[in-house]
Amino acid sequence: MDSLITAAARALAGGDPLGALKRVALRDDPPALALRGIAMAQLGDLARAKTLLKNAARGFGPREARARARCVVAEAEIALVSRDLSFPSKALDMARATLEKHDDWVNAAHARNLVVRRLLLVGRVDEAERALADVDPAPLPPASRAAYELVVAGIAIRRLQTKTARAALARAERAARHANIPALTAEVESASLLLDTPAARLIERGEGRPLLLEEVEMLFASQALVVDACRHVVRGTGTVVSLATRPVLFALARALAEAWPGDVPRGALIARAFRAKHADESHRARLRVEIGRLRAELGKLAEVSATKRGFALAPRQAGELVVLVPPVEGQHAAMLAFLADGESWSSSALAIALGASPRTVQRALEALGAAGKVQSFGRGRARRWMTPPVPAFPTVLLLPGPLPGD
Amino acid sequence: MKHVQAEILREYGPFPGADNVHGVTFDGQHVWFASGDKLNAFDPANGETVRAIDVAAHAGTAFDGRHLFQIAEDRIQKIDPKTGRVLSTIPAPGEGGDSGLAWAEGTLWVGQHRGRKIHQIDPETGAILRTIESNRVVTGVTWIDGELWHGTWEGDESTVRRVDPETGKVLETLDMPAGMGVSGLESDGGDRFFCGGGKSGKVRAVRRPR
Repeated sequence: MDSLITAAARALAGGDPLGALKRVALRDDPPALALRGIAMAQLGDLARAKTLLKNAARGFGPREARARARCVVAEAEIALVSRDLSFPSKALDMARATLEKHDDWVNAAHARNLVVRRLLLVGRVDEAERALADVDPAPLPPASRAAYELVVAGIAIRRLQTKTARAALARAERAARHANIPALTAEVESASLLLDTPAARLIERGEGRPLLLEEVEMLFASQALVVDACRHVVRGTGTVVSLATRPVLFALARALAEAWPGDVPRGALIARAFRAKHADESHRARLRVEIGRLRAELGKLAEVSATKRGFALAPRQAGELVVLVPPVEGQHAAMLAFLADGESWSSSALAIALGASPRTVQRALEALGAAGKVQSFGRGRARRWMTPPVPAFPTVLLLPGPLPGD
Repeated sequence: MKHVQAEILREYGPFPGADNVHGVTFDGQHVWFASGDKLNAFDPANGETVRAIDVAAHAGTAFDGRHLFQIAEDRIQKIDPKTGRVLSTIPAPGEGGDSGLAWAEGTLWVGQHRGRKIHQIDPETGAILRTIESNRVVTGVTWIDGELWHGTWEGDESTVRRVDPETGKVLETLDMPAGMGVSGLESDGGDRFFCGGGKSGKVRAVRRPR
C-alpha cells in the first residue's frame, strides 16, 4: 500500500471517516475509491458509497481478485442495510468463494454472515438457519461476531427458542462491548428488550393477560390446545392446523375457544364469522356448513358439538383451551398477525388469507407501511411485504477492509 | 532473466504494538521499520526490539548514514535517530502514492506504488531528477553494490527483483512463497534482504543471490 492509503486506512480504522476522506478525497485509484466508499458509508451517504465501491471493484486488476471481492461484500452490506434487496445474491456468493480461495477467512465469514442476514431479511427462515450452520464464528472480529450472534438470536426468536436467543444476545453484547462501537452495543440492547416486552396476549377462560415470548414458548410446549390468532393456526401437542387461508373457519374457532368451556349462540357466531347483523335462515344454513368444515379441519385436536342455542368447542386430549392474540389488536390487526410470522407475503396471498379484496389489502398495506409497521421489497408482481424484522439485522455497517496487499 | 524462489532465512516479529510493516531500513546495526505511528528498531542478531520513535510512518523508510528518512502521508520526513526529532520535510514525488524509499550516493529513490515507477529525487528539495518505469506495483526499493532492487506485491503474488536502473528492464526475480508479501525492502549491505511483511507484522530476512 502507498503512504496516503495507509494513513487514510488508519484514520478509518480509528473511527475517523472524515480524516480518511481528507487524505484520499482527490484520488480515483481503486484503493482510494474503496476507502472513500467505506468512509461515505460510515458517514451515512449510502448511495454515494455504493457508486464508489462499484467503481473501486471495477478498477482492481486481475491479480487483485481478493480486493475486488471485498468491495462486492461491502457493497452487499450497504445494499442490505438500506433494504435494497435487488442486490444479486449470486455476486455475494462469488465474492465469498473468492475470499475463501485466497484464505481471507475473516472476510469470507463476514460474507457468509451477510448471506444469512439477507435470507432472514426476506423471510426465508429455514434457509437462513441452514446457511447459518456454514458460518464459523471463530475467526470473526468482535464487531462481526456481534452481528453473527444477532442473526442467531433473530432466528431463535422466530423459532420461539428463547433460551437460545438469550444466550446469543448475551454473546452479542460481550462482542459489541469488545468491539467498542457504541451504536452496535445499543442495537444489541434494543434487541434484548424484545424478550422483555409482551409478545402476545393470552385469553384463558375469558380473561386476558400479556405474555412474554418465553411464556409463549412454554405455552406451546404445554398440553394446552392453543387457538393462535398471531399466526391463524390451532396448535395441539405435536399437531398444528393452519387456518391461515380459511378466515371464516378461524373466526369461528376463535369465538368458540374464547367462550370455552361455555358455548356460543348461533347469532353471535354468525355476527363474528360472517359480519352479519341479523341472522336469517340462509346464514344458519351456511353456519352449519362452516361448522362441518371446521370439525373436519380440527379432526383429532378438538371436538365441535352442537348445543341447544349454538355450538361449543372442546379439546379432545388437552386439558386447557386458550386463545393467543397479538399484544395490540387495532386496525389491520389481522393483517399484522399474518405478517408477524416473519415470512414475506405478497399482497394477493394476504388478500386470500384475509378474505378481503386485493384493493383493500393494498390500501391497508400502504397505511401500515407509512406508519413503519410493515416494509416491502421488490417491485410490481414480485413485491413482498413483511413486518420489520426481529433484531438479527444490525444497521451498523461492519464493512470489511477492501484494500489489496494486506 | 533469472527466476528463482526466494529463500527465507529468518522471520522476525510480529512485534507488540506494531501490527503492520510499511517500510524497512538498516542502519548497519539495527533494522528499522515503519508501523503507522512509530519507527521501530530491532537487533537482527536476536530479534529483540531496541527502540521506537513516535513519528508518523505510513510507507517507505531509508537511512543515509546519519538520518532516517520516513514517508508520511504525502511528505518525506528527515529524522534525527538520536533525538527522534523531525529535522525537515520535503514533498514526496508521488503526492502520497509513494511506497518504497532508499538512499544511494547522495540521492533518495522513491517507489510510487500503483504508478509503477521509481523516482530519483534531490533529498534537499524533493525535485525529481529521473524516473524509471516498472511494470509492477512498487512496494519497496533498495540499492546494493550498484544493483537496484524493488519489491512488488499484487494480490497473492509478491516478488523481489533486480531492475536495470537505466531502462527499468527486469534482470532477476525472487518469487516469495505464497501468502508472503513484500511491503518494504532493504539490503543489509551483504547477502541478506530485509523484507517487510505488511499486515503479518513480520520482517523477513531473504537470501540475496550471488
